[in-house]
Amino acid sequence: MDPAYIHLALGGLALLGCIGIFFGIGLGLAAHKFAVEINPKVEAVQAVLAGGQ
Amino acid sequence: MHRALNRIAGATAGLPQKLQRMGLIGLFIGILLVGGCRTEHPYVQNAAFTADDEITITFAGPVDAAWARDPGNFSVNEKADPDIRVGLREAVLSADGKKLTLRWAEPLNRQNSHRLVLQEISADGQSRGSADLTVAKPYSGTLLTILIGAMIIQNFVFSKYLGLCVFFGTSRKKSTAVGMGITFTTVIVFSSLLSWLLYQFVLKPFRLDYLQVVVFIGLVSLTVQGVDTILRKVNPRLFKAFGVYLVLVIANCIIIAVPLTLAQNEYDMWESLMLALGAGLGFLIALFLMSSVRERIEFANIPESYRGLPIAFIVAGLFALSFMGFSGMSLF
Repeated sequence: MDPAYIHLALGGLALLGCIGIFFGIGLGLAAHKFAVEINPKVEAVQAVLAGGQ
Repeated sequence: MHRALNRIAGATAGLPQKLQRMGLIGLFIGILLVGGCRTEHPYVQNAAFTADDEITITFAGPVDAAWARDPGNFSVNEKADPDIRVGLREAVLSADGKKLTLRWAEPLNRQNSHRLVLQEISADGQSRGSADLTVAKPYSGTLLTILIGAMIIQNFVFSKYLGLCVFFGTSRKKSTAVGMGITFTTVIVFSSLLSWLLYQFVLKPFRLDYLQVVVFIGLVSLTVQGVDTILRKVNPRLFKAFGVYLVLVIANCIIIAVPLTLAQNEYDMWESLMLALGAGLGFLIALFLMSSVRERIEFANIPESYRGLPIAFIVAGLFALSFMGFSGMSLF
C-alpha cells in the first residue's frame, strides 16, 4: 500500500486518540468539579423496582 | 472612539449592570459584523450592487472622467467562474467624480460574490494602482439569509425530513415540544461551534477531513454529557426542565447534519452560528406547530385505524406541503 495512506491513517488514529484523551480528561475534571451528591437510597430503590421505563 | 464609548456608558448608567454588559457584547458583535464589509483598495471606499445589472463604486476622491469612460478598465466575473466575463454596457460618473455607476450587459446573480477589477485607477492625472475588489451582498444579509433559510425556507424537519424520530416522539404535548426544542437549540449551538473549531483548525490543516463524521458524533455526545454534568450542579431547576430530552438530543440526526453542512460549505464562525441557531429554532417551530395540531386531534373523530401515529404522519405531510410554499424564496 502507498505509504502516504498509512501515514494518513496513523495521523487519524493519533488525532482521534488525542481528542479522546483531551475531552475525556476534560469531562472527568468537570464531573469532579460539578459533582452532585445523590442519596444512595434512590439508586437502591430504583434497582429493586421493575425497569419498564 | 473613547468619548463615544463613554457617552454610551453614561446613557446606560441607569440600567442594571447585566443589561449593560449584554449591550456592550452586542455592540462588539456589531462592530465585527460591519468589519466584514470592508473593501480592499485604499482609494475605493465602497463597491456594492445597486441593481441586478449595476454596481456603484464610491471613491475617496474624484477620479478622471477620461479613465472612467474607457470600458477596457473594468471587468467583472463571478468569483467561482473566472472564465466567464460580463461585458460593460455603460459607465456613468457623477458630477463630483466620486461615484461611478457601472451597468453591465447582462444581469449579475447578486446571491454570489463577484470579483471586480479596476485597471490603473487615475485621479488628478496620477495612477492610483489597480483595484481587485470583491462585490457581495452585505455580510449581515448573508447571515440573516442563512438563519431564515435554516429556520423556515429549508426547515430541517419539513423540507429535509431529518430528525423525524424525535419529532414524532416529543410532539404529543405542547409543553414537551417546547422543552425539547429549547434543549435541542442549546445543545446544537454548542456542538456546532465546537465542530467548526475542530474542523477548521485540526481536521482541515492535517487533511483528516475523512474523519469528520466520527469526530462530529463524538463532539455531539461530548456536548450533551458536558451540558448534563455542568447543568446538574449549576442550575438544577433548568436541568429538571430539560429532563430526559437532553439525552434524547443525541438520537436526533439534525445535530449531525448541521456540522456536516457547515464543513461542506466552508462557513466561517458567524455563518456556522447562524446555521446552528436556525436549525434549532426551525426544529422548535416545527415541534410547536405539530404539537398544537396533535393536541386538538386528540379530541377529533378519527377513524380507528388512523388514530395515533398514522394521523400524525399525515399532518406532518400536510405541514411539509405548506412549507413548500417557502421554497425558492430568497431574502436580501
